[in-house]
Amino acid sequence: MSATHNHSQTVQIGAPTGEQCWSCGDMRAAAFCTACGRVQPPAPTDFFSFFGLPRKLNVDAGSLERAFYQMSRKLHPDVYANASSKEQEWSLQQSSLLNDAYRTLKDPIARTEYLLKLEGVEFEGQSKAATDRARETGTQKKQVVPPELLEEVFELNMQLEEARMNKKMGEVDEALSGELEETKKNLQAKYDGLMEELESYWNEWDAIEDRAAAGDSDAVPDQERSSVRDKMVDLLNRRSYIRNLVRDVNEVLES
Amino acid sequence: MAYSDKVLDHYTNPRNVGSLDKNSTDVGTGLVGAPECGDVMKLQIKVNPETQVIEEAKFKTFGCGSAIASSSLATEWVKGRTVEEALAIKNTDIVKELSLPPVKIHCSVLAEDAIRAAIGDWKKKNGAAKPAETPVEAKAGD
Repeated sequence: MSATHNHSQTVQIGAPTGEQCWSCGDMRAAAFCTACGRVQPPAPTDFFSFFGLPRKLNVDAGSLERAFYQMSRKLHPDVYANASSKEQEWSLQQSSLLNDAYRTLKDPIARTEYLLKLEGVEFEGQSKAATDRARETGTQKKQVVPPELLEEVFELNMQLEEARMNKKMGEVDEALSGELEETKKNLQAKYDGLMEELESYWNEWDAIEDRAAAGDSDAVPDQERSSVRDKMVDLLNRRSYIRNLVRDVNEVLES
Repeated sequence: MAYSDKVLDHYTNPRNVGSLDKNSTDVGTGLVGAPECGDVMKLQIKVNPETQVIEEAKFKTFGCGSAIASSSLATEWVKGRTVEEALAIKNTDIVKELSLPPVKIHCSVLAEDAIRAAIGDWKKKNGAAKPAETPVEAKAGD
């Protein structure tokens, strides 16, 4: 596995979908026809294909943004003010799809979660599923994050509660505030570390996609894909705790 | 989103908040989390070694109103039950009692996890001395 692989994919708008334009019958892209340029009815598509992207996680932010603005102009309902009512409606629908797709893909976390959902990961139900399994088998449920992290989160929440209480009473506990400042730094470092770790999984994932795209699909066992997928899910779970803590510590320090 | 009256009641007036001595052999501690929202919940039980009845239960939860209500209710429910009876509590029972909406089901899951984790911890501490796992002896008297 090439860990050094971090080639961000650039976005080329108007990658053909293989379907025909309703107007000229030529090849169409997800949002408009590449031949005649007319807006197309929204087809069921995922956000990656909407931008003509493969399902890879390194995305070049600059070219995504340029594609977004370019497509925004092309699809803007104003452009279709004098077009048929169906085209007006499509341009509205496509514009809103474009906004959703852009908002999701430009954010590293939202993008990763979105791809994992496309890959069948159910974030909402994962804890419940593990509980159901534990109940049925009479075994101890394995927590989705390590116990040490839960311990740390719990202790820190106790501290934050104390700090909030102090502030309410108008008391200033210098030692506690100092500790929280220190904690804030540690948490930020931990958060940054998680993001670096996430990027290394992106690279693993994209390398797999590249090998699959090269036609060598037998060379990518499902096992390998699911292993990277699981690592990302695990990381995103840990991240939600750290993110909450960063938010709460900041809130207490700034109040 | 509007909370049900029962959730509000437990939230504004939570039962059994606090902690027990986690080093005591009679005490089981469960610390669990819900990755969906980043909530953490600690639930502790004190078990009578003779009768296996849970005599005392305490909790501390950092999370939303539904998570606090779920754990508050869980401590009320486990008290007075035997360990095995407490294991029968399901998250769906909590959902029903508190009328939790679908988006808050994970809070009830967290409470069930906490009960099971606390009991698991207690069992680990008292492993060999657990009569429930030696039914052969109990039958021998028949």
